[in-house]
Amino acid sequence: MTESEICDRLKAALPDAVEEFESQLLDPAIRVKPARLVEACRFLRDDPSTRMHYLRLVTGVDRLPAGETPGRIEMVYHLWSYEKRHGIVLRVHLDRDNPVADTVCGVWPVANWGEREAFDLLGVTFTGHPDLKRIMMPVDWVGHPLRKDYQRPDRYHGLPTNRTAVLEQGRVQVATAEHVAKAEPVSGYMQLNMGPHHPATHGVINFLIETDGEVLRRAIPDVGYLHRGIEKISEMVGYLGTMPYTDRVDYLGAMFTNHGWALAVEKLCNIEVPRRAEFCRVIASELNRIASHQIATGALAMDLGAFTPFLHWIREREKINDIMERICGARLTYNYMRFGGVSRDIDQVTIDEIRRWLDHYEPMMLEFDRLISGNEIFIRRLANVAVIDPDDAIAYGLVGPNLRGSGLAWDVRRDEPYSIYNEFEWDVITGTGVHGVVGDAFDRYDCRLREIRESVRILRQACERIPEGEVRTKTARIKPAANEVYTRVEGPRGECGFFVVSDGTDKPYRSRFRTGSFTAMTIIEHLSPGLMIADLVALIGSLDVLAPEIDR
Amino acid sequence: MTENLSGLEVSRQCPTGGDAAPFVVTTRVDDLVNWFRESSIWYLLFATACCGIELMQTGGPRTDLDRFGAVFRSTPRQSDLLIVAGTITYKMADRVRLLYAQMASPKYVLAMGSCANCGGLFQPSYSVVPGVDAIVPVDIYLPGCPPRPEALNEAILRLQDLMKGEHWASRRKHQ
Ligand code: SF4
Repeated sequence: MTESEICDRLKAALPDAVEEFESQLLDPAIRVKPARLVEACRFLRDDPSTRMHYLRLVTGVDRLPAGETPGRIEMVYHLWSYEKRHGIVLRVHLDRDNPVADTVCGVWPVANWGEREAFDLLGVTFTGHPDLKRIMMPVDWVGHPLRKDYQRPDRYHGLPTNRTAVLEQGRVQVATAEHVAKAEPVSGYMQLNMGPHHPATHGVINFLIETDGEVLRRAIPDVGYLHRGIEKISEMVGYLGTMPYTDRVDYLGAMFTNHGWALAVEKLCNIEVPRRAEFCRVIASELNRIASHQIATGALAMDLGAFTPFLHWIREREKINDIMERICGARLTYNYMRFGGVSRDIDQVTIDEIRRWLDHYEPMMLEFDRLISGNEIFIRRLANVAVIDPDDAIAYGLVGPNLRGSGLAWDVRRDEPYSIYNEFEWDVITGTGVHGVVGDAFDRYDCRLREIRESVRILRQACERIPEGEVRTKTARIKPAANEVYTRVEGPRGECGFFVVSDGTDKPYRSRFRTGSFTAMTIIEHLSPGLMIADLVALIGSLDVLAPEIDR
Repeated sequence: MTENLSGLEVSRQCPTGGDAAPFVVTTRVDDLVNWFRESSIWYLLFATACCGIELMQTGGPRTDLDRFGAVFRSTPRQSDLLIVAGTITYKMADRVRLLYAQMASPKYVLAMGSCANCGGLFQPSYSVVPGVDAIVPVDIYLPGCPPRPEALNEAILRLQDLMKGEHWASRRKHQ
């Protein structure tokens, strides 16, 4: 169904809920009455003709008062149906001084964290939300940073907030620990903090776990330890200036965040990308995907006690880094894509080098497989552990290998094609329950490992077929007209989406990065009861969550 | 007879006179202690952000920090060196202090990457501490975003130099 048909359908069912159909936007949106939001959502999810079981993104935009129009907060909901392959954007307008909306957690559990983020950063209150508290900022933070009129404080707990003040005050010579442990209510169960500095949590993530002996009663993720405010910074530095920041959103898959951001701006400004540049993008991206999946599978094995496989992958990753350095000059933070192309060409020498490397790599791949995939301990630690069924996977917004591990064949590269992926021959990998049931931790691991092979296939074809030509269209100053856009790419951690609101200036009015890890974290609390503590480690590792992607 | 053994000034003397073994080694306490310290820099695996990946690569086969006796530890109790690899946010600041306090003296801090040095790319941000030296005393500043493994390697060598010039008890006094 097209967006206007969906709107008609909603109007027919709930005539007084729809306020306006905003068809002028790149992603047409339906504005609904705040009081009828939950009803509309439930209808769109359950109606046989729409069936939108996947809430892609929930976020807010702060609109300052302009002339006659009073200020408002807009809450934006991106819905999608895997079954029907259509989507729609819902929007509600809230009073800026006292923004209150009904929670949609009851419709899609994944909304939980998105709404908490809107509460934290924009100050929107959600009635009926099960656990409404700050998520990114410390609990005693004052103000809502994504509000347009937000002023950052001079100090927080005596710490200066700018470098000059640090230098004036003088560097610390003696450090004291001022940390005060919070008193937790006694519940008869052991309560532990796992993190934020813990070798198995993949970056700075904290898990508040409540255990009965070795068995978890629940594990509550506590994130925000790496919230760097990239979205706010993007409002200050402009479109091109944001490109290096997108590297840091997902540093293991920087090409994908680059690519997604470039796609968003290209769509806003209608920029064409030359064919050779598309090939360059694909080659760089797929190399990056291999590198990222290597870390994911290697780190998972390491978390479960096998250190050697990790070292093998680190060694192979060095070689990818060398190639990346030839391609874009950086080993980690690539900053390679530009609006309308890429920053520099991949020359023939590099392409030959990639080919040679692929020849070397294919046996390595098998060696890794032999080294660990058949290991009895490894299998037992993963098989039948933390099983996610497809319905849960969709409801909790899992994407990428985590979703495919549950048996749902959905890959943005194939199903919502972008760039030139549909010209290559490759397969979408899904979990098959090799050693257990479909959707267990082993399947997620297995998906990643097999996806590496698909990337190798794509790379071979791309190196073969890369045409001659330009790698970048000349673009004028980036200054898109007022609009809104959401673009997505298939990153190593799944759908990596970029929601950008432009207002006719050379800086984005609001940007929101939708990342796979953020939504993947929401399922942990749901899955944890009954797991062993060691299984939690396997679960986190198999979901391949990455702290900066969660916190941004 | 004096000679230089792994940077340690030693003089060998045979107690019975002559050159035959067994012999005793005499050196200064400072040199000996520093020699121990500099050749077993155990660093805390404290990878908060992107720089942590380069830290990981540095520990990997190509750069191989193990050569210098530097191996990673997962707990601050066993670490001599805190490598702050990445951005520190206000939410994290207290935890960094806590980690530092848990390390046994003598302890050192290496600020790896622009974020840890001064806030780097994230100076305009509302949530990032502009430099980890506002929280803990820093011994080595390593620039780069992220620094290459070679650079981190160099930083460890510089730290060894720093350790060489120390009086064995002096560092304890300050902490
Ligand atoms: S210095 Fe650069 S690479 Fe290192 S943590 Fe900061 S942003 Fe990431």
